[in-house]
Amino acid sequence: MRSRVISSGGMRALPAPLLLLALGCVLLVVILIAVSFGSTSIPIGTIVQILLNGTGLFHFTRQWDPSAEVIVWQVRMPGVIGAALVGSALAVAGVLFQGMLRNPLADPFLIGTSSGAALGAAIAFVLPLDTLYGSFFLLTPLLAFVGAVLTVLLVYAIARVGGQTPVVTLLLAGVVVNAVLVAFQTLILTLSPHAQFSIVALFNWLTGGVAVTSWSPIIVVGAIILIGIVFSLTLARVLDAFGLGEEGAAHLGLHVERYKLLIIVVGSLITAAAVSISGLIGFVGLVTPHAMRLLLGPRHRLLLPASALGGAIFLTVADLLGRVVIAPAVLPVGVFTALVGAPFFLYLLRSSKRAYRW
Amino acid sequence: MVDEGSNVPEVLLDVDGVTFGYERQPLLYDVHVQVRKGEMVGLLGPNGSGKTTLLRLVSGVLRPQQGRILLDGRELQDWGRRGVAQRIAVVPQELHVPFAYSVEQLVNLGRTPFVNLLGSNSGQEAIVVQDAMQAADVTPLANRIFNELSGGERQRVIVAMALAQQPKLLLLDEPTSHLDIKYQIDILELVQRLNRERGVTVIAAMHDLNLAARYFPRLLLFQRGVVADAGPAEVLEPHLLKRVYGVDVQVGILRGAQHLSVLPPDSDSIDDEREREGQPQVLVMAGGGSGELLMRALADVNIPFIAGALNIGDSDHTLALRLASAVITEQPYAPISPATLEQVRTSLLRMKLLLFCPMPIGPGNLSLLQEALLATHRGIKVLILAPTVLDSKPETQVVTVDEALQQTGIAKRDYTNGEGVRLVREMLQAGATVVESVVEAVEAILLLASSNS
Repeated sequence: MRSRVISSGGMRALPAPLLLLALGCVLLVVILIAVSFGSTSIPIGTIVQILLNGTGLFHFTRQWDPSAEVIVWQVRMPGVIGAALVGSALAVAGVLFQGMLRNPLADPFLIGTSSGAALGAAIAFVLPLDTLYGSFFLLTPLLAFVGAVLTVLLVYAIARVGGQTPVVTLLLAGVVVNAVLVAFQTLILTLSPHAQFSIVALFNWLTGGVAVTSWSPIIVVGAIILIGIVFSLTLARVLDAFGLGEEGAAHLGLHVERYKLLIIVVGSLITAAAVSISGLIGFVGLVTPHAMRLLLGPRHRLLLPASALGGAIFLTVADLLGRVVIAPAVLPVGVFTALVGAPFFLYLLRSSKRAYRW
Repeated sequence: MVDEGSNVPEVLLDVDGVTFGYERQPLLYDVHVQVRKGEMVGLLGPNGSGKTTLLRLVSGVLRPQQGRILLDGRELQDWGRRGVAQRIAVVPQELHVPFAYSVEQLVNLGRTPFVNLLGSNSGQEAIVVQDAMQAADVTPLANRIFNELSGGERQRVIVAMALAQQPKLLLLDEPTSHLDIKYQIDILELVQRLNRERGVTVIAAMHDLNLAARYFPRLLLFQRGVVADAGPAEVLEPHLLKRVYGVDVQVGILRGAQHLSVLPPDSDSIDDEREREGQPQVLVMAGGGSGELLMRALADVNIPFIAGALNIGDSDHTLALRLASAVITEQPYAPISPATLEQVRTSLLRMKLLLFCPMPIGPGNLSLLQEALLATHRGIKVLILAPTVLDSKPETQVVTVDEALQQTGIAKRDYTNGEGVRLVREMLQAGATVVESVVEAVEAILLLASSNS
């Protein structure tokens, strides 16, 4: 008992800004490493110089192959930045949903985002348009985004009874709507004339992978995600209060239902934005918040930015592994989020000095 | 008692005619309570009596369906959520926190109604938090994890969190129900100290009558409405407790103690007591205030009686809880259920006399009339009380059944298409008699009693 107290006290003794700074540095390094790996490896020093030149403030003399510049800026950076954005979006959404629902199993996909996005994507794949994955940006991500947002709104509407949205009803409505949408998705794929092709394409999409090769989607999605994350930082104290339960939060003067809707909307928007460029990547949204909570404690003021950085690091690494392990073939990112995330999480869980309780 | 003298503190909380229920089942009916600044009020009542609901109404989590709740002379809704939270703090029975918050972080959450959700804590806030922790004696625990504390320590932390709200009114919902006796006393001593030293007004739902007697100068006995509102000596009265809680208790002052104690009865003495008190032999069927005068009169001459079936919320029900030996109770506004009717039937088997008050007859309570008729046929003495008529002619000599029927006035309050009238006629034919006044009824009962003994 005594040692627990001391160790947890020591944990908190580390000042928060320092921790965030450290996580930021790790993210930067990971991004550079991720950019340097690929079909032709580019030294990190060169990458740094190319990137700094890109800002227009520095003018390093060009000692590298001009194609490297194209590879860094046009090929690898969008993908890596995309992965980082998706990772931080999913992790922050995970914090939002776990905090609001007070449920350790909550993840960003819990209340319908995943099945809604998948249905949207399935529709995109069977439409008689040239929507080969990657060849035409707009349709698949757009329908996935719309599907995810509409589904969450539907789940929320179903769960709302007499001005209240009980958490249990919300979770059950999510489960039911998920099941129905998955059925629809199966139905559409089975009945589609070129079913075989669609199913393979959808499978690839579902297993997740940040296959972005241009900046335009990154800018749109990145804007939604960054605004969402910044906004969710203002909800930190509200999420802390939700830890006392809804009635407890109400006793502290919060409009519980209003904030619940706000959290659902923000969480779903950033999840939908992430899903639209990455497909369904599991585990990031579930594990990152837990890992950060174990490292830094439960206060959301710190947990939210830390999870944003942690999720970005996590997914960048997973994406890198997916590209490198059996190069030139690419493995789905979801495989590595699970393979890397699960043991790391278990390690944290077991080695934590204090019992991690819900 | 309540003079407008300068020494009487102002009213802090005014619960004014509040009615509330879930799904059309009224749980609270027309509740009136006033609490003055600095009072310490204990809320008593059996499980399901609506204590917690009353606290949730006062804390603004629920809204009354009728009536209003005034805090400092202003309705709760007008204060707004934040405004209420700046004045009222709530200590729940138990708090489950899913995250590993430290004590200080948790107490800090109590400042939520006061701080800008964007901003960080100013030094001012930190002082309030430290002060709250000091007052609740949890400063040494500041860096401990809340979930790793004992039940008593946790409850003190929750009180500290409530104190950080700097409330005028502290609501506690059975704050000691999960604690062992040492911590129960611990918490109540703490609350009492806050009440005395900081002038925090306290309303606490209590399930332990002894602790309530010890710590609360004013007790509210609650059963869907206020049954009694006074000091411990008046409220903790065995007959009252028996009617509300449904159990015989002994109340007294233990040797060397200063406060009342409530003890469960010895199993031997339960039967003794019943015999001593005398079994009631009179059943009163009333409702809507029709039985008020009669029940008071019976109580005045010490005739024990049973009342029922009465709906919760009916004024006759509230009165019967105070006066009758037993009350057969039905849900608010509900028709008489088969189970309740069965209770009436079995009670009637033990009765010598049935008093039928001039209440309105509708589809919901027509079955009571049928029971009354069955009882009449069985040969029980049945008195039908005529409604009070102001210009009644004295000395009306009733001869025929029709005249008697006229006298009962049943036709005017029968809402069952004549079925009620038919049943009353049959009762009269079977030997029921009409009494014109309460006095006449009581005389008839006393006569019956004396002829028996």
